[in-house]
This record gives sequence, structure tokens and C-alpha cells, in this order.
Amino acid sequence: MNFKFVALIATFATLVFAGCSSEKEAVKIAFIGPLTGGVSANGLGGRNSADLAVRLRNADSKYTYELVALDDECKPNIGVQVATKAAADNDIIAGVTHYCSAVAMGTVDVYHRFGLPVIVWGAVLPEITYGNDYKEVHRVNGTMINQNEVAAQFMIEQGYKTWVIIHDTTDYGKGHNRYFSKSLVAQGGQIIGTFGVSADQQDFNAELTKVKQLNPEVIYFGGLAPTGVRLRSQMEKLGINAVFQGTSGIVSDAFIEGLGPLSEGVLAFREGAPLEKLPGGQQFTSKYQSQDYGEPPEAYGAFAFAAADLIIDAIEEVGPDRSAVMQQLNSTRDHESIVGLITFDDRGQNTVAVITRYVIQDGKWVVWDDSEYAQGTRKLPRS
Amino acid sequence: MTPGKRDFRALIVAAGLAALFVVLFLHLEAQWAIALLALGLVLGLYFAVRAGLLARVQAAASHHPRAAIAINTIAGIAIIAVLREEHFALLMLATVCLFVTVCLGLTIQFGYAGIVNFSGIAFFGIGAYTTAVLTAHSAIPHLLIIIVSGLVSGLIGSLLILPMLRTRGHYAALVTIAFGILFRTFLEVNDTLGGPQGLKVEGMRILGWSLNDNISLGPLGTVSFYASYAMLALFVAAAAFTLIKRLERSWIGLNLDAVRTDETAAASFGIDVPRWKIFAFTAGNCLAGVAGAIYAMMSGYIAPASFNFGDSLLLVSIVLLGGSGSALGVLPAALLVVVLPEKLQIIQEYRLLLFAVLVILILRFRPDGLLPRTMREYLPGWGRK
Repeated sequence: MNFKFVALIATFATLVFAGCSSEKEAVKIAFIGPLTGGVSANGLGGRNSADLAVRLRNADSKYTYELVALDDECKPNIGVQVATKAAADNDIIAGVTHYCSAVAMGTVDVYHRFGLPVIVWGAVLPEITYGNDYKEVHRVNGTMINQNEVAAQFMIEQGYKTWVIIHDTTDYGKGHNRYFSKSLVAQGGQIIGTFGVSADQQDFNAELTKVKQLNPEVIYFGGLAPTGVRLRSQMEKLGINAVFQGTSGIVSDAFIEGLGPLSEGVLAFREGAPLEKLPGGQQFTSKYQSQDYGEPPEAYGAFAFAAADLIIDAIEEVGPDRSAVMQQLNSTRDHESIVGLITFDDRGQNTVAVITRYVIQDGKWVVWDDSEYAQGTRKLPRS
Repeated sequence: MTPGKRDFRALIVAAGLAALFVVLFLHLEAQWAIALLALGLVLGLYFAVRAGLLARVQAAASHHPRAAIAINTIAGIAIIAVLREEHFALLMLATVCLFVTVCLGLTIQFGYAGIVNFSGIAFFGIGAYTTAVLTAHSAIPHLLIIIVSGLVSGLIGSLLILPMLRTRGHYAALVTIAFGILFRTFLEVNDTLGGPQGLKVEGMRILGWSLNDNISLGPLGTVSFYASYAMLALFVAAAAFTLIKRLERSWIGLNLDAVRTDETAAASFGIDVPRWKIFAFTAGNCLAGVAGAIYAMMSGYIAPASFNFGDSLLLVSIVLLGGSGSALGVLPAALLVVVLPEKLQIIQEYRLLLFAVLVILILRFRPDGLLPRTMREYLPGWGRK
């Protein structure tokens, strides 16, 4: 009896293992982003989007893809740890990595050392791709240089002349301040005040009281959504009448939820065309909604999706081998994706960087050209 | 068998078991295996305490302090040898050793002299930044840089001595919190030190040999470059451990304990209270600086975002979790606090939540920490039957 039982188990186990081996080979892809902490909304949206790409592609692919999601907490030291974890794991073929610029700056060396090809899906600091000569590092989203050139040009065209710049003192805020100031001054705008604030600062009364005296037409804010929400609401309390112009960091639903009606008329600029304007955008949105993720994809979800999709394309083409995948990614030219055509230059930077101008209208991020502001039925302050 | 031999046997068995646990803990990835391991640890510890085995090991360690440290260091080397090809496990092991070093520094401050320091990570950071600057702009040998970084940490810490001596308890804690925040803000606005983006740090070189290269053993495979760092970190942690164990037993430790327990009584017995506070504070900061220096060279990149107030709290929580003033307790506590969040990656956004619950649970059932400090022993094997 006992023997029979053991034999039965053994047979069953053999069958199960046999079943496994006849299936497709499993291939792992890493996702790294901030899943906890202040910017976790973007990290979770990115993870879900990358996960969506894997799920959709698994239906008809040569390999079974598995997403290994890791949390970098938006901290460089934790980033180096998880990057080492992913890069040292030989089962992981490529990675979709990093929303925070400081983390990406710290980890590119790790990827280079271990030869893990990665695609950055959210970090915007130019040096991530241009500050080194690593063939492993690619980026699908544009850099803050492109973003701020367009932003400055657009605002000058609207007839504004004076700016106050408020930026957080992280690499993100300082970088935006640098590149926006440069573009703006080159195009004839006047900066009458610049304030650096810490990213977790709660009270902006000191800065805003000075801003009120300076009386600028536009307040340019370089920073992320939580700080932006506090700044915009305190502006209102002090009765400052100026256009609130943000950067890609505030383009998230959390920004509108945090402000309610106060968000009306806020401007922001972001790399990539809006989802609904893209061929695959509608499909992405509907597929995303059908998967029951707890969180929205947020502004950079589409980039994470495109990056994961691009990696899967490369693996399907050349097989699960790191250096082959890296070469395949390096030779990406005019590759169609849901964020538009992707072409990597010799540093792995996507050169087809479309910048979209947004305005918040009735609690939604609306593309400027489609908004009532562009048609003239609504007006921004002081225009 | 003589009592001496029994002691050695107990020490070796305990160190072996601990090493086995560390290897499994670092190596295992599957969730069920980690859960099983954690359960095994809790049950094992429970029965060890019930059967008096833990007390026997502790007594043996106190009877042969040098042998205990030597055996544990050898166990540490054995762990590194077993994990020689595992980059990630070695990185974690080295990080644990460095955190142990910092927390031993905090033990001198908090556990012995009773000075609360909520800016531990700032002194760690000062060491890291000093190293970054010195490796980039000077030709000082790297081993020396580590020592210099420790001294610079102690020196900058001495800025705080005056306000620390004039305040007590919560107010002294506030001084250190303010310093921690000041440190981070200073780094963010200071562009010569890399600003918010941070700085690249060169890998370590000793006599022309770069620690950042993998070591090839020919047909035996290659040893991860992190093994060199783990070894270095292990030796530094062992040295720090020896130092503070000797310190604890010496007349210095006696003075520090007196200062912590009752300042007024200590002063009336002629103990120079400010002097011992300054000593403990500076010594602790130097250890933090040394650890920070090695950490900077190992991770190759430092940025202000890595030196948050939250990280200082993590250091304090390691000290409290291990048992305030207990040097031995720092080891399991650091292992838990550094590695567990990494092991819980699979539950992603909920992992820090679970981690926090776990810490609260441990303190609920062991309010004095994992391995509370035992009674002071004036002589080796004090109170032994």
C-alpha cells in the first residue's frame, strides 16, 4: 500500500516535470522603479505597464516572459543594491529601469560592469545616457533638455515676459532650473527670481511672499507632484495671480486629485505624444483597464510598456542572450511603439523625442491644441 | 572534558550554526524557504533559551573573549568563501558588516554613555563624502583614506559637542536631528560636492591591486570582486567589535556606564562627565566615518538621497532591536534590518509595511531587544559556578 502510494507520487511528479519541459523556455526581465515612498504612484504605474506588456506578449511568443519587479525606493544606495541583484542574476536578460534620475546615475556603472542591457523608462537627466559611453544603457523617454526648449518657446509665443522659478533642490528640480533658464533667456524671457526649495518642504509662505512682491506673470515650478500640489494651493491663499507652469514631474492624476478645482489652467510639458494620439494608445488604455490593476498607469506608464515591449521584440529576434539583445537594442531604428517611433542614437538615447504641451481643463490633463484655452474660449491668467 | 574544551566546543558549534543561517538567509530566494528559515530560527532560539544553551554560549564567550571573536571572524571568512561567486549576497554581507560597524559606534554613544544620536547616517555620509573627495583629488593611499575619513567624521562631529553638552535627553536628540537634516540640505545645495546628483567614487586600490576586479582562480571559477570588500568590511567590523568589547570591560566602560546611569552621582564621585561624553561621541562618529568610507568605495556612487533622516532612524532601530548596549545583539539586528527588506522584494510595495510590523512584534515579545546586554562582568567568567 505504502509502496503503491510512493509509486503514484513518483509517476505524477514525472508527468508534471515532463509537462514543464515541453513548455516554452522561461525568460526573465527585470523592472526597477520606486514602488514605495513619495513617487511610488509613478513606480507602481510603470510596473503595471511593464507587466501588461509581458502579459500581452506571452500569448504568442517563443518564450515565456516573467517580470521581476524590484523596488529602488528612489534612493541611489538601494538602487545599486537591487541593480546588482538583477544584474548578477544570469536568468535576467534585460531590464526596464528607473524613474528617479539620481538612482539611474548611480546604477549605470553596475549595468555596464555586469553587461545587462537596460532601457530607462522615466528618468530625465541628460547625463544618464550622455554622461558615459555605456552600450548597455538606453532610454525611451526624452531628456529635460528637449522638454525645456519646447516649454520656453511655447510660453514666449503666448506673450509672457516675466518668470519666477521655484525648483526643488533635487537633481530633477535643479536640472530643470538650469535648462529652462538657459532656453528662456536665449529666447528673450526675463527671470526675476529663482528659489530653491527642499522636496519635502511643507510651507512655502516665505518664498511666496517674496514672489508676490516680484509679481511675475508666470511661476515656473521644477519638481514633482506632491511639492507642486502644496505650492499651488499656498499660492492661492496668498492671492498670487500668475500662470502655474510645471514640468513632466507634475503630469500625473495625483496632482489633479490633490488640488481639485485649483488645478484649472496649470500648464506642463512632457516627452512623448499623449496616449490617445498614438496608434496603440487606445489599445494600451483599454488593455490596461481590463487587467484590474489597482493603480493608474500614470504619465510614464506608456514608456515602461514601450521599453518592455522593445526588449521582448529583441529577445524574440535574437534569443535570450544579454550581449545579443544589447546589440539588437543598439541597432533600433524607427521602431514602432505606443510612444511613437523609437530610434536610439550612439549613446542609446531615443532621438525621436516628441514633446507634448498640456493644460489642465475641468480636472483633466488636456493637450493644449485640443483645449478651450487654445481656441480662445477660456483664458489663462494675465494673457 | 575540561570546562575550557567544552567552552570552545560550544563557541564553535554556535558560530557554525550562525554562519549556516547567514549563508542560507543570504542565498535562498524562494519565499517558502525564507519563511521556513525564519520559523526555524524562532523555534531554534526558543528551545536554545529554554534549554539554557544560549546562556552557556554567552558564558563561554565571556570566559574566552578573544577566542570568541576569532572563531566568529573565521566563521565570517567561511561564509564569504562559500558565497564567493554570489555578487549580490556578498554585497549584502558587506553592507551588513558596515552597518554593524556604524551601530557599534552608536552603541558606544547610546548604549554606554547615554548620548542619543539621531544623525548616525550623517557621520556615515561625512566619511563617504570625504572618501569621494580624497580619492578624486589626492594621491593618499586608499587604506589611509579610510582612516582619515573616520577622523574627519569625528572632527566634524566635534562641532556638535558644545550644544550636546549644554542640552540633555530629548533636547540633545533634537540637536542631532537638526544636524542630520542640515547635512543633507548642505549637500543638496553645494554643487562642488556633486549637489543632489551625487558623486562617483573610485573603487578601492591597495598597493596597485584594484578591489573592483573579479579574482580569477583558473579552473576553480572566479571570485566576485565584492568578496574583497566583504572581507575588508568583515575585518573592520571584527576590529570594531573587539575594540568596544575591550572598552566595555575596561575602566573607560565603567566610567561611561556611570555617566549614563546617573550624571549627578557620577560627577559627585569625581568622574569628568563632559570628558566622557566627548570621548564616546567622537569615538562613535569615527567608527561611522570609517564604515562610510568603505561603503562609498564599494557602491561607487553616493548621493544625498542615501543619507536621509529615515536612515538614521534605521540605525537607531538596529541598536534598539539588538538590545541597547549589547554589542552582540547588533549582529542579528543589522542582518535583519538590512537584508529582510531585500528578501521581501517579492511583496513589493507592502514590504516596508510588513517589515515595520515585524520589528514591532519582536519588541513586543522581547522588549529589551534580541540579545539584551548582560550584567557587567569585572573579570572573565565572572559569577561562574
